[in-house]
Amino acid sequence: MKKYKFHVSGTHCASCKILIEDILGEQDFVKNPQVDLKKEIVEIETESEKNADELAEILTSKIKQNGYTLSVEKVILEKKDDVIWTAVPIGLVFLALFFLLQKSGFLNLGIGGQTTPQASFIIGLIASVSSCLAIVGGLVLSLSAKIEQDDKENTKKPFILFHLGRLLSFGILGGVLGLIGEAVGINFVFSSILGIIASTVMILLGLNLVGVFKKSTLTLPSHLFSFFRKVEHATWAPLFVGIGTFFLPCGFTQSMQVAALSSGTFTSGFLIMLAFALGTLPMLALLSFGSASFAHSKHAPLFFKVAGVVVIGLGIFALLAGLAGLGIINPLFNI
Amino acid sequence: MNKTALAIVTLGLVVFMGVIFMGGSGSGSVQNVEIKNGIQYIKIDAKGGYSPKVSTAKAGIPTKLIVATNGTFDCSASLVIHSVNFQKILPQTGETEIDIGIPKAGEPFSGVCGMGMYGFKINFEN
Repeated sequence: MKKYKFHVSGTHCASCKILIEDILGEQDFVKNPQVDLKKEIVEIETESEKNADELAEILTSKIKQNGYTLSVEKVILEKKDDVIWTAVPIGLVFLALFFLLQKSGFLNLGIGGQTTPQASFIIGLIASVSSCLAIVGGLVLSLSAKIEQDDKENTKKPFILFHLGRLLSFGILGGVLGLIGEAVGINFVFSSILGIIASTVMILLGLNLVGVFKKSTLTLPSHLFSFFRKVEHATWAPLFVGIGTFFLPCGFTQSMQVAALSSGTFTSGFLIMLAFALGTLPMLALLSFGSASFAHSKHAPLFFKVAGVVVIGLGIFALLAGLAGLGIINPLFNI
Repeated sequence: MNKTALAIVTLGLVVFMGVIFMGGSGSGSVQNVEIKNGIQYIKIDAKGGYSPKVSTAKAGIPTKLIVATNGTFDCSASLVIHSVNFQKILPQTGETEIDIGIPKAGEPFSGVCGMGMYGFKINFEN
């Protein structure tokens, strides 16, 4: 009987200990598995002739689907420290380029005349690289990266649902706006508050992606955590987030909503909003499916951190802007 | 790459972003205030932000704000002025007149776009 010690990664909750011990205990060659969450160490006893590397590989294959990995050497932690040093400047470069683009005024090209579906498609294209991206794009990026980080298997379903929800809700709600006409207005306060909630979620997810919460997640009450996991993994959740983006604060979206309002019929409102949402689709699809493919490449650890930095930056920007929009603070930016 | 180099790059980027954010686009004083028939009109262009960002006008006379849009689809079209409880999504092209009463000297007046990225300010003097 020999004793082996492995480093484990992916443990984020108190119940992880029980789960890993259960799964490892089911293997007939493993005796007395012990998980130390604080040190992120798994100890087992075995009579197997295999060496430590082989054992780590075999056992990892059993618990991989739950998001855990065993390794002989504690490589991940050291590597992570280096990755963050690279990730921060890369993330900042993206942020700087994005804000520079806003400042350039390049996106303010006017589109005159009637708001036709063709025009709203082009406006959608512009909007998707504008500061609207700060909130919708940031949300897409943070959610996709988070889903990818949690679920190791390659699934595209949440993203398809999200985009489907966004397209459908824009079309249908646009149609409804066209139908009821001037009777309603989109409430600024409502959308500002929604924007603040969204940006808070973005900042939290961003911090999570960067790895700041790695230790503190252990203290999060496990039932609360499992609630979040349930929401995150529920099949309908991405669909509703997609629908929710209709109400997020974005000047372009609001202008389009007004255009839909004044268009007079369900069909015209539907077409205007749908065309607008289609215009924003290429960029947003790139963000979500792009992050999916990055997450499965060898650059995954770097990608998650860079995404985290970008999302935090956009989240802070959106949060401050949202507060300014409500009149709580002065507008900070001259963009 | 070593950490020191990366730290310097990071610092440089932070400064650069600060410049992007804080750098005012130094648009000098524009003649945008006009008094006609005892009413003061202040004209602000709304497109990709508000211009001029800071205006100076006279206090103590009835004042109206004219916000002009011209193919404006971005945030600046959704205007919020908290002090007079005004919030509206402006027409894509056109002029919107907003009555702001009789302003008092030394009480700056400010408007902001719905998402809070752009703002403008008017100082009133005697």
